[in-house]
Amino acid sequence: MNIDIYGKGKILVRLSVNKLTFGYDYRTVLKDISFKINSGDFLAVIGNNGSGKSTLVKCILGINKVAPNQIFLDDIDVTLFHNFINIGYVPQKFDDFNYEFPITVNEILRASNVRRISEDKLLELLDKTGILELQNENINNLSGGQLQRVFIVRALMNDPKLLILDEPTVGVDRRNVEAFYKSVNELNKEGITIILITHNIHEAVADISHVLSIHNGEGVFKEVPRGDDE
Amino acid sequence: MIYMLADTPFLIAIFEYDFLLYALIAGLIMGFITPLIGSFVIIRRLSFIADTLSHFSLAGLSIGLFLTNTLSLTFIGDPLYLAVTAAVIGAFIIEVLRGYYQNYKEISMPIVMSLGTSLSALFISLAGGWNSQVYNFLFGSLLTVGNDYLYLIAITAVIVIIMILAFYKQIVLVSFDEAYAKLVGIKVGRFQFVSTLILSLVVSLSIVTVGVLLVASLMIIPVAAAMKVGKSFRNTITIAIFFSEISVVAGMWLSYEFNIPPGATIVLINIFILFMTGFFKRFIMNKRLKSRQQQIQMK
Repeated sequence: MNIDIYGKGKILVRLSVNKLTFGYDYRTVLKDISFKINSGDFLAVIGNNGSGKSTLVKCILGINKVAPNQIFLDDIDVTLFHNFINIGYVPQKFDDFNYEFPITVNEILRASNVRRISEDKLLELLDKTGILELQNENINNLSGGQLQRVFIVRALMNDPKLLILDEPTVGVDRRNVEAFYKSVNELNKEGITIILITHNIHEAVADISHVLSIHNGEGVFKEVPRGDDE
Repeated sequence: MIYMLADTPFLIAIFEYDFLLYALIAGLIMGFITPLIGSFVIIRRLSFIADTLSHFSLAGLSIGLFLTNTLSLTFIGDPLYLAVTAAVIGAFIIEVLRGYYQNYKEISMPIVMSLGTSLSALFISLAGGWNSQVYNFLFGSLLTVGNDYLYLIAITAVIVIIMILAFYKQIVLVSFDEAYAKLVGIKVGRFQFVSTLILSLVVSLSIVTVGVLLVASLMIIPVAAAMKVGKSFRNTITIAIFFSEISVVAGMWLSYEFNIPPGATIVLINIFILFMTGFFKRFIMNKRLKSRQQQIQMK
């Protein structure tokens, strides 16, 4: 059975991970991880470097192939999906992207425009994230923070219902970090579910609702009281 | 052969002698598609794959020599077809090995390359050892190309260009960001297999131009030069094709004037351009780039 989530009718609301175990070759990275979040939640995944945070994200996104019956989006097993366009993903810097070869902001965003959103909407997103004037620049000339915003535009381009941010503030200077989380909080208030991967929870001025802390591949999940609005 | 014509200026000789015109057209077609494909090969950090496939094609050529010279099986025709077949088989083995050594994918290259080279040595020796045909395989024989070859590469070029235009977005995504490509549902494994097949086709066909030992240079060097000065992706590819075509025309011209091998000359000019762009970048562009970067990052 194939389930196509390309159509606009379906929206992502719930993510549930059920006893997820995953490893590369002989090495187990994640052991028995379970948690559940609902639409509009804000989950922070914390843990040291190498604890398996990014691996977890890649499992959710189908980049790592997991066994069936472990991860469900909207009660549908992720192994049945053929794409994850409804999820916005901002990868960790320098993680998978091939830098150094010249490509402009516009070129990479246009190639990523799978949903074929209109020119106007793309410009609006660029403007909203403050990188409108950078659209014709080679990405290799951008600062870490500017590059991060390019990836955020790319993640938002496909109208995500779930936004996954993997260490989004690494390499971003301090004064921009706060502004960044402010806009993430706003997106969350608009109803987009957020998963934030970070090794430094203190840095996150994010209005989180749940925390999953991963240590040596094992996770502890708990709900946290949300800060009052304003 | 070319030596006898040396009194006629190159531009006139091209129109007087078919073999020169064929050589130039073949060079220009290969000069167009090799950097085009080479760009994606470089971005995916697979530069070594062209070399590996060309060495594996040599095995096909050597087996061809053995079949025609030793066993007199002339029905196989041009050994080039065996080179294409061998390259496709080589591509297949590389893909299998890359899957087998998930974390050390590059291991596949030396394995396939040594298999190709040793098979070549074996069959060249069985076919009677070193001769001018072997020399042509190793260093190219651009001046001997015929109609058939021109049709073959013209069709290949059209296919390559159509594929790139039709799947441009997907190719860019898979090349630059494989994880994101998977996320949006591109079947990366299948995609990679098809692109390696096309690559093997182009590599084996370009053996005629510069020979097994220099094939990779056609794909890699113009792009390596262009990526240092390109402003955008399209701009870089355009510059790479421009460099590549200049080296073909200049290489043919110099080889005609000085009676030197065209394949090697083309590659040497490519290297010269690479050094010149490096020089330009280092001493002229870098200063401007630094201030430009600062300007951009202030925005």
